[in-house]
Amino acid sequence: MSVAEAPPETAVRRGRLRLDGVRKALGGREVVSAVDLETEPGEFLTLLGPSGCGKTTTLNMIAGHLSADGGVIEVDGRDITAVPPHRRSMGMVFQSYALFPHMTIADNVAFGLRMRKVPAARRRKQVAEVLEMVGLDGMAGRHPRQLSGGQQQRAALARALVIQPDLLLLDEPFSNLDAQLRVRLREEVVALQRRIGTTTILVTHDQEEALAVSDRIAVMADGVIHQLDRPREIYLRPATDFVAQFIGEVNALDGTAAGPAREGHACEVAGATVAAMPPGEPPATGAAVRVYVRPEVVRLAADGEGLRGTVRETRFLGSRIRCVVATKAGKVTVALPFDARVPEVGEEVTCAWRPSDASLAAR
Amino acid sequence: MTRVLGGAFACLVGLFLVAPVAVTVASSLTATAYVTFPPQGITLRWYAEVFAKPEFLSSFVLSAGVAVAAAGVSAVVGLACGLAIHRYRFPGRGALEAVLSSAFAVPTIVLGIGLLQWFAQMGLASSPFTLLLAHLVLTVPYAVRLVLAGLAGLDRSAEKAAAGLGASPFLVFWHVTLPAVRGALIGSAFFAFITSFDDLTVALFVVTTDLQTLPVRIFNYMQYDYDPTVTAIGTLMVLFAVVAAVVIERFVGVARLFGADQDHK
Amino acid sequence: MAAVGRLAGGTLKRPRWRTGLLLALPAIAIFALLFVAPLFTLVANSFRTQAGAFTFSNYARFLGDPFYRDVLWNTLKVAALTTIGCLLVGYPFALYMRGRSARARNWLALLLLSPLLISMVIRAYGWLVVLGPNGPIAAVLTWLGLTPPQLLYNDTAVLIGMVHVMLAYMVLPLMGSLDRIDPTLVPAAKGLGAPGWTCFWRITLPLSAPGMLAGAMIVFSLTASSFVTPAILGGPKVKLMPYFVYTQATTTLDWPYAAAIGFVLVVVTTGLLLGYSRLLRRGRGEVVFG
Repeated sequence: MSVAEAPPETAVRRGRLRLDGVRKALGGREVVSAVDLETEPGEFLTLLGPSGCGKTTTLNMIAGHLSADGGVIEVDGRDITAVPPHRRSMGMVFQSYALFPHMTIADNVAFGLRMRKVPAARRRKQVAEVLEMVGLDGMAGRHPRQLSGGQQQRAALARALVIQPDLLLLDEPFSNLDAQLRVRLREEVVALQRRIGTTTILVTHDQEEALAVSDRIAVMADGVIHQLDRPREIYLRPATDFVAQFIGEVNALDGTAAGPAREGHACEVAGATVAAMPPGEPPATGAAVRVYVRPEVVRLAADGEGLRGTVRETRFLGSRIRCVVATKAGKVTVALPFDARVPEVGEEVTCAWRPSDASLAAR
Repeated sequence: MTRVLGGAFACLVGLFLVAPVAVTVASSLTATAYVTFPPQGITLRWYAEVFAKPEFLSSFVLSAGVAVAAAGVSAVVGLACGLAIHRYRFPGRGALEAVLSSAFAVPTIVLGIGLLQWFAQMGLASSPFTLLLAHLVLTVPYAVRLVLAGLAGLDRSAEKAAAGLGASPFLVFWHVTLPAVRGALIGSAFFAFITSFDDLTVALFVVTTDLQTLPVRIFNYMQYDYDPTVTAIGTLMVLFAVVAAVVIERFVGVARLFGADQDHK
Repeated sequence: MAAVGRLAGGTLKRPRWRTGLLLALPAIAIFALLFVAPLFTLVANSFRTQAGAFTFSNYARFLGDPFYRDVLWNTLKVAALTTIGCLLVGYPFALYMRGRSARARNWLALLLLSPLLISMVIRAYGWLVVLGPNGPIAAVLTWLGLTPPQLLYNDTAVLIGMVHVMLAYMVLPLMGSLDRIDPTLVPAAKGLGAPGWTCFWRITLPLSAPGMLAGAMIVFSLTASSFVTPAILGGPKVKLMPYFVYTQATTTLDWPYAAAIGFVLVVVTTGLLLGYSRLLRRGRGEVVFG
């Protein structure tokens, strides 16, 4: 049965990855500390974080190129922690694509099948199918260096997919492409992944990419997962200061927790009461907290409940209008839709937002 | 104007570069009993002379045998050592690297006399084997350097990719690592062959009267005879080198052999 | 970010350093037994009398005897002249090569390297014929009605033969250096009003200095230590150290003295190379050895 024709329900049943307390030290430094993770079969999960946060190390442990110092890695309930990489079934696409330079594209793609001793006739058929699937039908006889970056990337993807892996692992696969191609290819990859339903782990430092492609995102820093949630939750309701600051622009307002509100949790910020919805346990009343509000969710009103302030600056940015409002809690950046009324500089306004669109964390 | 001058100059340099070989080849055909250029008359007599002298043939066999062995051993030892240095940390690694690079700097003649005195001290008699050992010192450093250059050009992810696709460590080595250093291995084998086959300096100290490599045989012959036999041997050796170069060019490309191009082609 | 660490999953539980050592073992054995040990023997022998007693007399003899001081001096002189000769021939040749197409450059490189593919003995023998009394140069001079001078068995013959061998070692690093020069620099200087010669003098030449220096070092040290070409083209009349190492070891059979001369030669050539690499580490440069 070919990859392309695999009915989704059979494909979706496989590929449940579980990491339990996985640790790794490299060169005397703990790069990954006790990472727990569990994917749904067919899920597209992204490990997002800055350089050195441990995301690539984690991916390499999943693939088996690095051995975990502690913890358990399971696929579909099978413990693979001690299984060498060639006996796992992981399709990996590397940042450099890692195509074998001395082999044609067809031979590159056929490599995994050859290792699995798939008979030649079936091998050829599967290679042709997967190449067609990624749009490289005419390129089978070429060598990697005769291909463009985007084509190489597709060839690497084809090579990873043809073995029908338990998991598809993508290590910054789009970072060597120019901006336009990057967006186009990632759309293609997502569409393909949805179609064949292979559980996919993407490693990236590009937050926009992570938000665009993932079912869930695990934000990593210093070897731990700070937050694991759907893109919308990660964006609007960051669980930690790191997550809030790493992704997009955020207004961070310091205040004191004031107990449950009508919706979410109330909080005293510079004399005003605002509300937000903490992603985890709500903090104890009276605790020092920080409220995180994205510029896009803030609405300006002439009066009403919220943070009062004076408009200091407005700027038309094409898709958005950016305003800076000076409040007692500090400057609040607001991104208004392009067709909103532009407030005058010096105007007194109230900044308000839906509590479920903002987050709250102890500081 | 500058172009014409440049072209003329390059032609002169070219002439200078090929002169000794061209003259050797031409004068091997001379009918005179002494070497002269331009040759007078045309004869293949001196080629017949070469084949009439069994000592030249046996020297050729010895030289070629040692050179082939040196080529094979250098490639294998160079590959192992290159992999060790590139991928592993082990006690003595720094010292080994230092010794390998200093081997380039030590004059061959000093190595020759050092080996002479050391072999004498060890009571090791001259044999094709000692000759091979002596030549390995000249050839292995090149092999290691070429292998290291080849390994540096290999993307380690390609090995990971192969492992991830189901290749066992041996198959990863066979299908990915080895092809990456293939050029380096052929190059080092070729270098080793040429170096060993051509070596006079070290061989002079290691050989005996019964065991003479071809360069030693020619060198000694030249001291006493000035007949065109040597030019005939020279021509045969030039032919040999040309054939070898063409074969190598076919399989690897001369430019890559000398490390001139690493990536494009 | 790239997590470089140990590749996991090998079924072998041998420590990694032992695998490395095992792989390096043949090379270590070869160099310990056939390089380090002989050189130590050589150094030790150079401090011995023929009878085996410890002495400095071999070095005292070499440095004290005007004849051998002359040998040392002549070795340095021939090496220096060869280096200069290679520069004078090689620099214009490298410039010429630089202006050619990739294909032409390949052929020129092959031409340059062709002497290295041919046996040293045969090459030197070829020069013996070219420069000899029955050779083409003598023929041309006789035809012009001149008496051909003695071209063999002197410094000039050695010089010609050595430049022939060494030219590639000069041109290749030089090419490397020239290729690294930003091709827009010369037009930029011309735009600022510098004539062609000034451009060469003030831009190309100084920027190619690392290549020249690298080539010069290689040529100098290889020439100072070369034996075959000088022995054939110069013979006993041209006093060079490698030749005396050889005769002392094989004809006079004074091994300790041969060892001492050899060791002085090592000091001369490696001292030069060491000094050069020191120099390089201080001022950033790029070298292509060999």
